[in-house]
Amino acid sequence: MQGRIIVISSGKGGVGKTTATASIGAALALAGKKVVVVDMDIGLRNLDVVMGLENRIVFNIVDVIRNKCKLQQATIKSRRIDNLYLIPASQSDNKDAITPQDMVRVSKKLRAEFDFILMDCPAGIERGFENAIAAADEAVVVCTPEISAVRDADRVIGLLYAKEITSRLLINRIVPIMVERGDMLSHQDVVDVLSIDLVGLVQADEDVVVSTNTGIPLVMQENSKAGQAFTRIAMRLNGHPDLPIEVPRAPKSLWGRIASKIGFGK
Amino acid sequence: MLLNGFLKKWFLKGNSKEAAKKRLQFALVYDRLEVSDDVLQEMQKEIVEVISRYFVIDTDQLKLDITRDNDLSALIFNTPIISAKTRAPMTS
Ligand SMILES: Nc1ncnc2c1ncn2[C@@H]1O[C@H](COP(=O)(O)OP(=O)(O)OP(=O)(O)O)[C@@H](O)[C@H]1O
Ligand SMILES: [Mg+2]
Repeated sequence: MQGRIIVISSGKGGVGKTTATASIGAALALAGKKVVVVDMDIGLRNLDVVMGLENRIVFNIVDVIRNKCKLQQATIKSRRIDNLYLIPASQSDNKDAITPQDMVRVSKKLRAEFDFILMDCPAGIERGFENAIAAADEAVVVCTPEISAVRDADRVIGLLYAKEITSRLLINRIVPIMVERGDMLSHQDVVDVLSIDLVGLVQADEDVVVSTNTGIPLVMQENSKAGQAFTRIAMRLNGHPDLPIEVPRAPKSLWGRIASKIGFGK
Repeated sequence: MLLNGFLKKWFLKGNSKEAAKKRLQFALVYDRLEVSDDVLQEMQKEIVEVISRYFVIDTDQLKLDITRDNDLSALIFNTPIISAKTRAPMTS
């Protein structure tokens, strides 16, 4: 087995890397792939709580690299989804605790064990970023439809390109009603400026918060729009690259619904 | 439809994204042009070499600038020309 390593990156903080990593990882595992998600945010770990696995942690990625434990000992199995595993970050070290070479070494072993290895990148473009991208085959770059996030995404895409890593764009926290009103950059605007392929569009969704609160994966919440979008993103990464991109739409008002029923409006 | 558009313009917020897109495009042009000092120096040296083949220039006064106005970014290389060189075939 030769697993694919995908890094989830952004430059700007708080745009949804960890949410995307957990959700795409869960969706790939539900589709039958063997998946490990790796928290590369050394010193500020979060992926464990988002996945509801925080109280199972014994060892972490830094322990693996320092040979304090075997890879298997640091790999935590998801309680809810078969084939889904987490390697947590260390909370007490900083980003300098590991080097890109360490990551290349560990990644060889991961590739042999898993179909998909998802690296949850920290914010920024320093050492933590370099560690997270060191062994990556491809990248999902996350941004929100805001100037600062798009600008940072451009920078990160450039840095990844210099390392010969191809990026695809995930636009997160889209508020359809604001896009329709012209007060938020549309996905087309963002694609125009970045000239990069899309991997998916995810709208702002309260279910993301609920999922984090409960530790129940977003993609298992049947009616979650964001969850469905992440499931489709996972499919695009998993052999269905041409699955059409669905654009999030605002729910129509009562009058809007009536109008479209009788043939007015769009 | 006309009324609809009219009402929208006057009574709702809207279209701040056009400003966002413009500003973003400008910011990115600058960001992407941002090259390291070493690269700029190297480029300056090469440009001087090329121009010096054809003109005598005052190398003390040359200036390299990146400017931006409206829709255009420009790389401006400014140098006083002292005289043209005679156009003998180059041998090197
Ligand atoms: N589609 C969404 N809808 C609503 N809330 C969201 C969405 N995506 C992310 N969030 C919320 O935004 C916050 C930041 O998300 P997340 O932690 O995934 O970002 P991050 O990029 O990993 O941040 P950091 O840079 O700090 O690692 C979280 O509180 C999360 O619940
Ligand atoms: Mg994170």
